[in-house]
Amino acid sequence: MISPAALTRRAAPVLACIGLLAVWQVASLVLKNDSFPTAIEAIRAIPDILGDKESLINILASLRRMAIGFGVAVIVSIPLGLLMGRSRAVAAFFNPLLMVIYPVPKAALMPIIMLWLGVGDITKTLVIFLGVSLPVIYHSFEGAQAVEEKMLWSGAAMGLSPLQRLLRIVLPAALPEILTGCRTGLVLALITMITSEMIARQSGAGNILFNALDMGQYDTVFAMIIIVGAMGICLDAIFERVRARLVRWSEPQFDMPLSFS
Amino acid sequence: MKVMPSRSNEWVRPLTSQKPASAIIEIDRVSQVFQTSARKDHLALSDISLTIDEGAFVSILGPSGCGKSTLLYIVGGFVSPTSGAAKIKGQAITGPGPDRGPVFQEFALFPWKTVLGNVMYGPRQQAVRAVEAEAQSRALIEMVGLKGYENFYPKELSGGMKQRVALARTLAYHPEVLLMDEPFGALDAHTRTRLQNDLLNIWERDRKTVLFVTHAVDEAVFLSDKVVMMSNSPGRIRQVIDIDLPRPRRRNELLLDPRYQKYVVDIERMFDESDEAGPAS
Repeated sequence: MISPAALTRRAAPVLACIGLLAVWQVASLVLKNDSFPTAIEAIRAIPDILGDKESLINILASLRRMAIGFGVAVIVSIPLGLLMGRSRAVAAFFNPLLMVIYPVPKAALMPIIMLWLGVGDITKTLVIFLGVSLPVIYHSFEGAQAVEEKMLWSGAAMGLSPLQRLLRIVLPAALPEILTGCRTGLVLALITMITSEMIARQSGAGNILFNALDMGQYDTVFAMIIIVGAMGICLDAIFERVRARLVRWSEPQFDMPLSFS
Repeated sequence: MKVMPSRSNEWVRPLTSQKPASAIIEIDRVSQVFQTSARKDHLALSDISLTIDEGAFVSILGPSGCGKSTLLYIVGGFVSPTSGAAKIKGQAITGPGPDRGPVFQEFALFPWKTVLGNVMYGPRQQAVRAVEAEAQSRALIEMVGLKGYENFYPKELSGGMKQRVALARTLAYHPEVLLMDEPFGALDAHTRTRLQNDLLNIWERDRKTVLFVTHAVDEAVFLSDKVVMMSNSPGRIRQVIDIDLPRPRRRNELLLDPRYQKYVVDIERMFDESDEAGPAS
């Protein structure tokens, strides 16, 4: 049986969504602005988008770029971050580079990348890669640095080589921190995905959104915003499930907001 | 408490066949300098020479900051001495190895592994077959009194239990020397006493060489054959005292024994005298 308190906790996010939509609906009816459709109009436009083959191909193309950009970024960033955390020389080399790249909005690099690589998939995937890499590198670095020296000594006494220690002690010990970085990276992947499609229009969810904006189809614009938002929530919820499973051995360090799971 | 791993002969030496004591660890004029800032060097250990006999329980006793842990880390191969050398069985120590098993005050368990996973880690690393490693590890977990906790994660255990796991994890790969770095320093008095008793029980069964770092005089006297007293800055050996008390030792008998009490009082007095003499030059 679910206790009333638990029921309230579970219902809370749903109520928040309904509340938001209600405020939207009322605001829209009061303002009576053409570029601000009501919530119901926007929601009605969703099946049209999802039922359209062209739109679905666009959205799937977006998701594919996002998956590749995110995946490659994670595969490259985790080893780099771990090495930086365990070797002062590696950290001394890469830290200044990352410090320069960090505050630059990745979308601002897009015109240059477009100039070099065109407006196709490679450019957009590269921008997503750049957006995801930095938080993952940073968190892997922090996680690797925090690994207890005595834990590594214990491994060394058992006969683990430096590489084995990196893979079998530093990596699992830093995993909670790494996954925190990956979670931030996942949200950034979604953001950079849309941004990149805004700048280099050709295909994708962002393309649908901005084309609709150009054509004054405001219900489609808002429907796309809802779709992208829902994608973000779903991806984050799935990731959070996986994360919680992988690190259920670890002490809860901090509460993770932005989760429906 | 009678369960023994199948390879018990490797770490259980029958008392009847005790060989005459021979040196297992030799520390030869070891000094350690730490750079505290660009200008200042801190001499942590100065000219330490010490021989440890095989099968002996030796405590290194001294105030905090006297370099006693550093000395242990040098024997472990975790730290290289600035000058001098340490040897195990005549071989120069150049790095850590499974012949020397550390147990740290911080436990240093692998938090992503269960109790069983932690204890099995060493044997598996040494390519012991999984079935055999598990059987041995289960026996060791029972020996340290944690039967039933095999599938618990370290975060679910108390400090005393964590240290029992750490001890079992180290014993599991059959080191010839146990290096214990203030292992009970983070535990409350009651738990500390129980672990001292249990450690002594386990040790009296297999008589593995133990190098035990502590700042507690009673702990050192209770456990050891030999107490190495160290003095502060720079870390030097003050005196080596043989603890001539009968074994097996039982706490309730020993605490009433005037000889035990005299050792404790004498050692405490020696530390007090050096304190009154002011900081060592």
